[in-house]
Amino acid sequence: MKRSYEEINEKIKQGDAVVMTAEEIIEVVEREGVEQATKEVDVVTTGTFGAMCSSGVFLNFGHSEPPIKMTKAWLNGVPAYTGLAAVDAYIGATEPREDGNLDYGGAHVIEDLIAGRPVRLRATAHGTDCYPRREIDTYVSLDTLNQAYMFNPRNAYQNYGVATNSSERTLFTYMGKLLPKYGNASYSSAGQLSPLLNDPHLRTIGIGTRIFLGGAQGYVAWEGTQYRTTTPERNGVPTGASRNLAVVGDLREMSTDFIRALDFQKYGVSLGVGVGVPIPILDEEMMKCVSIRDDQIFAPVLDYAVQSRTRKPMKEVSYAELRSGSIELAGKKVRTSSLSSYAKAKQIAELLKKQMLEGEFLLTRPVAMLPTERAQKPLDLHSREEVA
Amino acid sequence: MPIRKFLLTFNPEIVSEPITYRIVKDFDLMINILRAEIDEQGGRLMIAFEGNGPQIQKAVRYLEDSGVQVQELKEFIRKDDNRCTNCGMCISICPVSAYQMDKKTWKVIFLNEKCIACGMCIDACPPGAIKLRAQI
Repeated sequence: MKRSYEEINEKIKQGDAVVMTAEEIIEVVEREGVEQATKEVDVVTTGTFGAMCSSGVFLNFGHSEPPIKMTKAWLNGVPAYTGLAAVDAYIGATEPREDGNLDYGGAHVIEDLIAGRPVRLRATAHGTDCYPRREIDTYVSLDTLNQAYMFNPRNAYQNYGVATNSSERTLFTYMGKLLPKYGNASYSSAGQLSPLLNDPHLRTIGIGTRIFLGGAQGYVAWEGTQYRTTTPERNGVPTGASRNLAVVGDLREMSTDFIRALDFQKYGVSLGVGVGVPIPILDEEMMKCVSIRDDQIFAPVLDYAVQSRTRKPMKEVSYAELRSGSIELAGKKVRTSSLSSYAKAKQIAELLKKQMLEGEFLLTRPVAMLPTERAQKPLDLHSREEVA
Repeated sequence: MPIRKFLLTFNPEIVSEPITYRIVKDFDLMINILRAEIDEQGGRLMIAFEGNGPQIQKAVRYLEDSGVQVQELKEFIRKDDNRCTNCGMCISICPVSAYQMDKKTWKVIFLNEKCIACGMCIDACPPGAIKLRAQI
């Protein structure tokens, strides 16, 4: 059977659409089979909430009197990028405070703005004929800004590695605190609830797809950075980091429930971002995709004691094993921790479902599809001639 | 058998008294030393007593009579449930499994009675939801 975006949207508007979360659908497909489930269900919602370092916010401060073309700017002491027009800036999530204080950074500025808290803005400038002012020290808040929109170049990774540590010392990484001698292992995907694992070849997710972003209705803007399609597959889904999304959304509609500053000790700051994507059940093939279970999704276990980009996976483990609380590594039972919140992933999928049942969230057909073939290149040392 | 945890503070004069030995021998308690520290100010010992209730009471009285300052510790760690995102990073960090994942709600539960105040979870919590209540 086939179903169109238009048909589904009509049903959503009428309040007749049947929507289920990617977790709920598993049981339905097991009970009734793919064919019957396809007939019954129009949309399956997904969700994920995890540390997404490649995130940040574009801001326009408005013009001061006299005007300034900001050369350098700081928000609560955190440098913002101002190599744009006069009072435009980008505050990156992982930017640390300049005073060396590693536990407050761009992510905290973003969370403070969403929470409606005042943020101190300091900026300096060279001064020009058209922008004579040379410095400003003031307070801004979400209310005083013109535009404030999140633009995250890499979110919602399709699967990711599992981190562990064979060395004699504790490692402090973006995958959390890794205890010595395989003392623990951390992972970071919502597995069966994760957006891109439910549409593994991005048949329905592309540029312009409306998504849940941090509580707002946002959009897919582009392929994410380090997007790649070359990761080997098992059960139809990649067995490691693969595709991801560049996303955009209005900070004013976001909530600190779904955007949260995170601090990784001795690594730095990151941003917890909640993303949800509705998957239209266009046909049986889509239903098959969304019925994927944690025991069918595998991730490579990587030893972060190896400080190289070419870490060889120790083994592959399923998300069912990871979620059980421990995995077996080097002949030892190793306890696992998730870095992404499954509780929040569920909450996002359920919220998205509710919004669709109430007619508040409509599907969009992608304006253009994301690449079907993309390899990831490394950064090597080259002479000018070699890259010319 | 009840387990109670105490912070014992010694002045320099009684640091050399073998008080843990006496607690085991005279009061028949199982002890677990959670943390210990000695410097020029004296010593501090975080200790758990396991045994029958009246015996623990007697042991505490003995300690106080010997000049040890005794403070019962009921809460070492406080998890701010509004700040916590329920990721579960703390779970594999905690050496005594005081954090557990509720597989129904996927929320992280903190079991205060298991906590030994090692503090390992505090800097491991990405959203900074865990704070140490009792300092040693």
